[in-house]
Amino acid sequence: MATTTSRAPASPDPEEQELDTEIASIRAEIQNLQKRKRILTSSLLTTDPIQKLLRKQRQPQAQTTQASPTDPLEAISPLIHAAGAHKSSNHHRIAFGATAFPFKDPSPTAPAGTLLGVRIDVCARNGRFAKPYYILLQQERSRASSGGSTKMLKVYRHTVPGFISIAKLEGVYLPRPRLSHSNQDGDRDGSGSSGEDDADPAKPWKKSGSSTRKQDLRGFVRELRRELVAWHMRAEAVEFLREKLGLISEGGGSLPFDVSPDRDTGIVSLAAVSLETRYVRVEWVDGRVGRFKLSNTGVVERAVVIGDDGRDKKIEDAMTGGGGRVETVLDRLRVDVLSGSLSP
Amino acid sequence: MARPKTVRAPTTASLPNNLRIPSSTPSLTKSLGKLSRQALLDLAFTWLDNRNIASFPPYLQTDEQDGPDDDEALAYPAEKTIEEVRQVYEDLQDRKGAKREVLERILEGDWRHGITLRQLAMADLRYMDDHPASLRWTALELSRIDTKRKKSKELPPTDWSSSVPRMQAATFVQALQREISPLVKAHYHLAHSATLPLTFLRIFVVDSPYQSPRQAAEIFTDSSRVIYVAFPDSCPYVYTSIAASTGSKSTPSTSSVATDTRTLQRLVRDSIPKALSRPQERFSLHATSLAAKNLPTLLTLRGPGRSTGSNGAFSIFADAAIEGSPLDPRPSNTVSPEEHIQASHSGPADGKENTNGSAAKRKSSGMDTGPLSPDSKKRRLAIHSRFGTLGSSLAPAPLDRLDIRLLDKLGSSEEQDDDVDDSSSTLPAVSLTFAGSDVIGGIRKLAELGIVDPERMPSWMTGEGGVSVATVRMGQRLQRDI
Repeated sequence: MATTTSRAPASPDPEEQELDTEIASIRAEIQNLQKRKRILTSSLLTTDPIQKLLRKQRQPQAQTTQASPTDPLEAISPLIHAAGAHKSSNHHRIAFGATAFPFKDPSPTAPAGTLLGVRIDVCARNGRFAKPYYILLQQERSRASSGGSTKMLKVYRHTVPGFISIAKLEGVYLPRPRLSHSNQDGDRDGSGSSGEDDADPAKPWKKSGSSTRKQDLRGFVRELRRELVAWHMRAEAVEFLREKLGLISEGGGSLPFDVSPDRDTGIVSLAAVSLETRYVRVEWVDGRVGRFKLSNTGVVERAVVIGDDGRDKKIEDAMTGGGGRVETVLDRLRVDVLSGSLSP
Repeated sequence: MARPKTVRAPTTASLPNNLRIPSSTPSLTKSLGKLSRQALLDLAFTWLDNRNIASFPPYLQTDEQDGPDDDEALAYPAEKTIEEVRQVYEDLQDRKGAKREVLERILEGDWRHGITLRQLAMADLRYMDDHPASLRWTALELSRIDTKRKKSKELPPTDWSSSVPRMQAATFVQALQREISPLVKAHYHLAHSATLPLTFLRIFVVDSPYQSPRQAAEIFTDSSRVIYVAFPDSCPYVYTSIAASTGSKSTPSTSSVATDTRTLQRLVRDSIPKALSRPQERFSLHATSLAAKNLPTLLTLRGPGRSTGSNGAFSIFADAAIEGSPLDPRPSNTVSPEEHIQASHSGPADGKENTNGSAAKRKSSGMDTGPLSPDSKKRRLAIHSRFGTLGSSLAPAPLDRLDIRLLDKLGSSEEQDDDVDDSSSTLPAVSLTFAGSDVIGGIRKLAELGIVDPERMPSWMTGEGGVSVATVRMGQRLQRDI
């Protein structure tokens, strides 16, 4: 008795174990295939020829008489309709990058009215799309001094990363006349903008000023999307450099710490200082440490390299010189290039 | 007591890293004993690392010759070289054993001449990494004070990045030291967390102006004298381990003598924004009504990620749980939220956001569909729309405490129009306090069980504001706490 109870949990039959793993792997495969089938059926439904064909067949039917309920085409028409609508919204998302949608706050105590949602899609380097960013705007009626109530938009919720200041953008592009200045709103409100149509550089900080500017939702979304894209580009530029240096393994994860230095440049580590990827830190094998600043357009704006005997101006110049593109910074830092420029 | 050889003079320097606490201090055993065996071994390896060995030299035979050789009968004979010391810990690593063994080896063997303040700080931070819920943290927001707002007209507003002060560790600590040093003596330790995207600053404060304080050694392990400040990466927030005092913004009364630990803590807290400030760029800290025990929760609710600005019903947007990428041909209502969350793993921030590796084991528990009655199906839908992904196993951000003050008048929920005169004195203030391991998750469970009506409950119950303290009127959170 005692022997059986002790043996049972200790080591299950190896054959059984093998079967179990086999079953698990087969189940996973079935799931994968099912997923693939779903993707294929939906892509089939969204293809142009099928959409056209089915629509063509449906139209004359609708004109003549009501279709019989057993008609297979009629039965799948909601599916086709959904697929078509999804396709067109996907096309908008890919082509324009910013789409709007209504959203109803489910809370019973929420201020009435639907929220205006804005979805921003950013395409990444590997051809995929990053998680979409959302901004939900609340419409509130304001009693403007000029008479009559106007609809004012206010950012209610958003999923924009913390280092992009929604409050600042809102202060410039979506100014409200009764803008109560909490500290949050007030950090350095800029005025006007680069290439902005508004001739008058308004002063959003002026409370209920007579020259309250109109809200500019397009400008808001455009500026915000530009900032998000710039962030993705910076992060991808750093990732690209790391790949070039061989600091990223095949699987995509970063290698363990002690990697051999890059042969051409002698760089042992290159990484963004923080999530924002505004500054990038570089380490050389001989102990020099550098840092450079990336601009939104992908240019190395400033660079500082410090070695054992002070700053290394030559490398700094190489980083920022030659157009300063971040993608080619490693080519400019190659040892033979640097020494070649020195010898003549 | 013999006088120390050096002259004791009050200085404004910080406490040195290499100030040694006697290894025989009982409280030292206790504070190091909090760590696991593996953590202690890791620490020992870090101390014996080539780069650190100069800061944390172990006790070797050469030390024995200098000092008075009165204790021969020690359990751990001193080793000859650092290599041998390393070997000892390698051996301990290989074999299984009690934590006690490693602890004694450290305190009575290789560091019998004392544990330095820096070693203690490293041990504390290691404990924090292992136990992210060991302290209660308060989230504060950094914001710029703009005195010359009119001048900003000339500046081109191309910079939309928010007011995250650029922090250079050494400079910041110097500035902080300059702020605090006239008032308290402190030891600073700055380190990046190994598991979370945070930079920790551990400040240990003593109210003695002398370089080597004559207080009992116990004082160095007194946890009430330690203040932690955590700086999350790229976002305008600061977390502190200090309980938010109510009148923190008011000017501290200058007459109060800085003696008790609470005052010392307040002094440190007040000087943090000043140390972060630079000329033309002043910062101030203000409360964000969020305190929680769990650091990942703070990172979710007041962090650099997507979920800072959208919680509760809006967490579906933060997790991108309703719509897929534009390249997905499947209509989005036919795809489950888990697939959406897992499918979009290409953002540059993703690896850092899910730092606790929860993404891999995010398996739904509340979403498996069995045979359901239409009633419970309807309730389930309502719960999903109210809570989004929050409180479910999909996106864990547990709040351990939720304080709500209700300012509704009796019966005002029925007649919504006549609460214009809210200055009436008969205002009953109802305070609710929820406590537990996961408050929002608990409310979600209650709704799932049918105890809470998911369609009629106010939004603070869904964790929408992302706060732990709130004043609520008519179901809506008041921005300014009254």
